[in-house]
Amino acid sequence: MSSVTRRYILKMGILTAAGGALARPLSPLIARAQARQLVVCSWGGAYQEAQRKSMFEPFEKETGIKIVEASPTDYGKLKAMVLSGNVEWDLVDVGDRMVTAGAKDGLLEPMDYQMVDTRDVFPQVVQKYGLGTIYYSTILAYSTKKYPSGNHPKSWAEFWDVKRFPGPRTVRNNPIDNLEFALMADGVPMDKIYPLDVERAFKSMDRVKKQITVWWTTGAQPAQLLADGEVDLATAWNGRIATIIQQGAKAGIEWNQGKLQWDSWVIPKGSRNKDGAMKFIAFTTQPEIQAAITKYIPYGPVNKKAFDFIDPKVAKDLPTHPENSKRQVMVDTIYWGENLTALTEKWNAWFVK
Amino acid sequence: MSRHRAAVGRWEVRVLLLPAVAWLTALFLLPIGRLFYLSLVGPGSHLTMAHYAKLVTEPVYLKILLNTFEISLAVTVLALLLGYPVAFLMATARASVAALMLACIMLPLWTSLLVRTYAWMVLLGRRGIINDLLIGLGVLDEPIRLLYNRTGVTIGMVHVLLPFMILPLYSVMRGIDVELLKAAQNLGANLRQAFLRVYLPLSLPGIAAGCLLVFVMAIGFFVTPALLGGRGDMMISMLIENQVRELLNWEFASALAATLLAVTAVILVIYQRFLGLDRMWGGVR
Repeated sequence: MSSVTRRYILKMGILTAAGGALARPLSPLIARAQARQLVVCSWGGAYQEAQRKSMFEPFEKETGIKIVEASPTDYGKLKAMVLSGNVEWDLVDVGDRMVTAGAKDGLLEPMDYQMVDTRDVFPQVVQKYGLGTIYYSTILAYSTKKYPSGNHPKSWAEFWDVKRFPGPRTVRNNPIDNLEFALMADGVPMDKIYPLDVERAFKSMDRVKKQITVWWTTGAQPAQLLADGEVDLATAWNGRIATIIQQGAKAGIEWNQGKLQWDSWVIPKGSRNKDGAMKFIAFTTQPEIQAAITKYIPYGPVNKKAFDFIDPKVAKDLPTHPENSKRQVMVDTIYWGENLTALTEKWNAWFVK
Repeated sequence: MSRHRAAVGRWEVRVLLLPAVAWLTALFLLPIGRLFYLSLVGPGSHLTMAHYAKLVTEPVYLKILLNTFEISLAVTVLALLLGYPVAFLMATARASVAALMLACIMLPLWTSLLVRTYAWMVLLGRRGIINDLLIGLGVLDEPIRLLYNRTGVTIGMVHVLLPFMILPLYSVMRGIDVELLKAAQNLGANLRQAFLRVYLPLSLPGIAAGCLLVFVMAIGFFVTPALLGGRGDMMISMLIENQVRELLNWEFASALAATLLAVTAVILVIYQRFLGLDRMWGGVR
């Protein structure tokens, strides 16, 4: 070995050893830096912006923990993260059925209810592996350009009636926001929806299948399609429609026979800041914070006391306002957690026929 | 003396190839291997053919596979019909005109696929530019449905894949001497005969290469059919996406993906058998 190469190897060796020696005292600093920050993943768009203004920024101000946002929530990504051990998200906003499905697959950490005051929270959203964030509804949305004087379909039976109400429609490409409505269109009363009569639901879907122009996959789609005049009727999430109405689109919301459901906070298994995540959950469950999000997007609070802080004018547009909620059916999240996979396969087979 | 030189040359070549081989193995061969392994795993981690059995026995998956081929075939044929004249023009034009045409074809390739697909949504919608124009001109009374159906998907996919048809055609046509057409006419053929019996056969390698490229890309397409298509335009890539992201059934998704890979490989083998893959680069047999 020449003297040049020996010197080179020696130099490299010393530098590496020095680097390693320095890294050890740095590691608690790195860990503390991670505790100073919380990575939260939500659904993006108008919803996440509302969360940012009402939850993320106030939380940062009060605790000094920096919130790093990620979006959109992707269940495939979540599974990949947990399985590979490289969990980037500390806290995730998921749809209600993911709490049961995710827990079944071993992807979630249990909630630490010692840290959260859940006395005034609606009991159904307080689950072992998740706590509700907001209530939202899937409702019938219509174009006020096509139906200006209240002559729009006011029930699923009417939505299904393509003779009386012809025109392009959009519904979701997923059994989860469809089968309950199909049953209601067929005459099943709201309190007898679950467990779903699957055969009857699909037969009912057959009646309207060919009239559906677009089968949406993302929350913003039905709102955009209504705003563009591409469709006249849609099933959609109420907050997204309210946003475009605010922006001047000619659309309206029909609360009758809507489906009430909720989003939940979950912590992925192996999250790097479980403590911070629970602190955040405790913070956002407070009635004042729950009320704050309604200023930006009309989604309902999970905390009963929040209604004390909400302007009654705003309250009447919320899915959980008594006037609205009494006309809706509450989703059976356990049913969907157990049956979504099988029903989706059936849906896909039915979809292409 | 020469034997020593040859031996050294071989060893050096092998070492130089090592980084590329390592890269391909780690980032390509190993993940594909894992894909195949995953498709054969059942609950409880024992090996099973259940996922492939499901693929074959349940009619919906075969239907979607057939759908995929149907759409890809239509797109390939249309791309050929539209691309051939363009490539011919480019190959026989002056250098400056050819360069301009080349730029026009390449420029869309550098625009994001998503942006181009969204542009089609704006153009083809019920209140989109095309419908508004036709209604404004009095050609139509009611808007026609150009979006969320086979028409929209075909238009979008042909638009995106056209450069991949034109470029192989162009590279082969550039090597065809146009004088041959004149020679044929001199010998008594009319223009149509000269084209069909002289030019077209010579451009066949380009046609084959272009069609292969477009077809293989089309069967794996996701974004354009997902955004522009309707219920009857579901392609296999959308099914795989659904299994991976919504249903988290990665084992079955791997079986679907492995099937797509196998079909592509079979097509390439057939192509190699009859035409030779080196033709794609305009090589002479």
